[in-house]
Amino acid sequence: MRHAALATVAAVVVGWPWAAPRYFVFLASLIAINAIVAIGLNLLSGYTNQLSFGHAGFLAIGAYAAAILTIRAPALPVPATLLLAGLVTAAVGLALGVPCLRLEGLYLAMATLAFGFVVVEAILNLEWLTRGNDGLRVPAARIGPWILATDTARYYLVVAVAALLIVAAVNLSRTKTGRALLAVRESEIAAQASGVNLAAYKTLAFVVSAFYTGVAGGLFALVVGFLSPDSFDVFLSVDFVAMIIVGGLGSILGSVVGAAVITALNDSLAGFQNYRPLIFGAILVTSMLFMPGGIASALRKIPGAGARPPR
Amino acid sequence: MISRASLLLLLAVTLSALPAAAQQGVSDTEIVIGGSNSFSGPLAFTGDQITKFGVDLYVRVINDAGGIHGRKIRTVYYDDGYRPQDAVANTKKLVEQDKVFAIIIPQGSPPVVATLDYLEENKVPLLFPYQSSPVTRGKRYVLQGMTLSDRSSKMMIDYLAGQRKIKKFAALYQDDEYGKSFLTAFEKDLARFGLKLVGAESVKRGVMDVSAQVAKLQAAKPEVTFLVLVPGPGAQALKERQKIGWTDTLMVSTGPLTDERYLALAGDAAEGVEGLSLWPDPVTSDLPGVKLYREHMQRYFPKNEPNRYSIAGYFAGMLFAEGAKRAGRALTRESLLAALESFKGFESGILPPITIGPDHETQKQGFWVRVEKGRFKQLTDWLKSE
Repeated sequence: MRHAALATVAAVVVGWPWAAPRYFVFLASLIAINAIVAIGLNLLSGYTNQLSFGHAGFLAIGAYAAAILTIRAPALPVPATLLLAGLVTAAVGLALGVPCLRLEGLYLAMATLAFGFVVVEAILNLEWLTRGNDGLRVPAARIGPWILATDTARYYLVVAVAALLIVAAVNLSRTKTGRALLAVRESEIAAQASGVNLAAYKTLAFVVSAFYTGVAGGLFALVVGFLSPDSFDVFLSVDFVAMIIVGGLGSILGSVVGAAVITALNDSLAGFQNYRPLIFGAILVTSMLFMPGGIASALRKIPGAGARPPR
Repeated sequence: MISRASLLLLLAVTLSALPAAAQQGVSDTEIVIGGSNSFSGPLAFTGDQITKFGVDLYVRVINDAGGIHGRKIRTVYYDDGYRPQDAVANTKKLVEQDKVFAIIIPQGSPPVVATLDYLEENKVPLLFPYQSSPVTRGKRYVLQGMTLSDRSSKMMIDYLAGQRKIKKFAALYQDDEYGKSFLTAFEKDLARFGLKLVGAESVKRGVMDVSAQVAKLQAAKPEVTFLVLVPGPGAQALKERQKIGWTDTLMVSTGPLTDERYLALAGDAAEGVEGLSLWPDPVTSDLPGVKLYREHMQRYFPKNEPNRYSIAGYFAGMLFAEGAKRAGRALTRESLLAALESFKGFESGILPPITIGPDHETQKQGFWVRVEKGRFKQLTDWLKSE
């Protein structure tokens, strides 16, 4: 049953560019990128209860790191570029995570919110590197002789990376580390009493979350092809939080579903022009009222839906 | 298991994706054009006016008169909220899903620049982008709309330093592509007169408090202070100047700033302020094209006040319609471009005769205005930037 479902999903994902119109291949790439961010954010917020409103900042760091690497070191294969983008972002995550250990709840949300603004200001002021407000055009990346010039090529790169990171996240959530993170969410005091090193695990959550978002940022740069500080505003961070709330806090599947729902929603509402923010807000409020645990927990209530109970 | 039905469906989808023989976006009865624009975010008002009350106003006029060679024009717009990545997604959707014939009047440098390469590669005409940075220059499929910043700067400096012999200039500019492209151009044009800016202060986008910058500029004692801002902080600069009693400088607004909104926000602090205007006064001008624009607005959107954003969109609609008309019944993207490139002294009744050369710039002029009793009063004839 589980294997059949997984095989179907895999077949659809692999066959997608051959069945769907070109635009939907691009859209699916965006969904996969956002899914990676949502998983990263969920590891921090859903699993460890550290709310972040600054993930657009991490995305920006990963995106600019990958873009600058692609421009300055065109011979570097894409996987190395993405890995480096993730590591740079993880380093920044570490630098942010340590001081944030002292903050909780609202104060942490404010600190991460400020972080998002600081990143945008930094991009604006590091003009020699980022071209500031003029924006940065990202050339097509390559793996050896293979140039990722089409939407389909980029799509396969994105879904391959996303699949890898999803498997890694699922595995992580089942290890001692995953259980420790969940314990921190349930009660910090109880977790500490059971021997969980609070500081170490909270910092780890920040670093892993930043790494995921940084890799997603690198993919974002390649897929969108143009970066500007305007891309990474606070509303993008809010979109990411909306993804994990709508999808389900503390659920990998929920992160993916939430990313798909919010991305597709944003896209389809663009045609409503002035009413877009209004309709988007109304849908968010409704889904929170009627599905407080997100889509993932609503799915669990349906018998045979295949989703596993949380613990 | 894959059923026969799903195979058929797959086949149908594949077949429908094959390119049709005719030009994309042009059917026997319809021409589809569209654009990504700001309907939310900082430039939502402008986006709304240039598209739904601008382009669409002219489209309704044309369609009610029978369309172009028997084809009605239909427009599709998507909101990007000034975010480049949303502009990219919207533009791809317009080209690949909605199959538009051309992109019309998208707004703002970052969103427009983000889509430039994609549109060039796919040979989709980008018509009259509403932004003033010269990044759109030299593209095969782009026809620039708004007068570019370096042309505006040339007119402003030639008039002030050349005709009025002013020597000391300063600038208060927005810290982005819009502000910086003007600053660079000012410095270059002043150098031709052997002059330099005596002061330049930047304002972050979205910031309303400009008091520190105004105080610093006052200390530099410029005769003229350029305002390269958007209406909110632009009006704030005028009020601040009034508050601190700084009277011995002339404040001059750039083309994109010289609008009714800036005037209304500044109130009596705007009195005596000068600027470069890119459009005739949409409310009071007696030019035949502007009068007709007001009549059309009154007929189709009686609740919407005439303003220079909707007239810019209306003008873009007019240029497109005229180009499509000249291209004839066998309308293609290439024939549209050839038709637009053939414009020589086209009379719009709104701007001076339009000639479109190989530089693809449709607007290259402006005139000087001074604010008197809350309206822009025209001081010069059209200035030239050639």
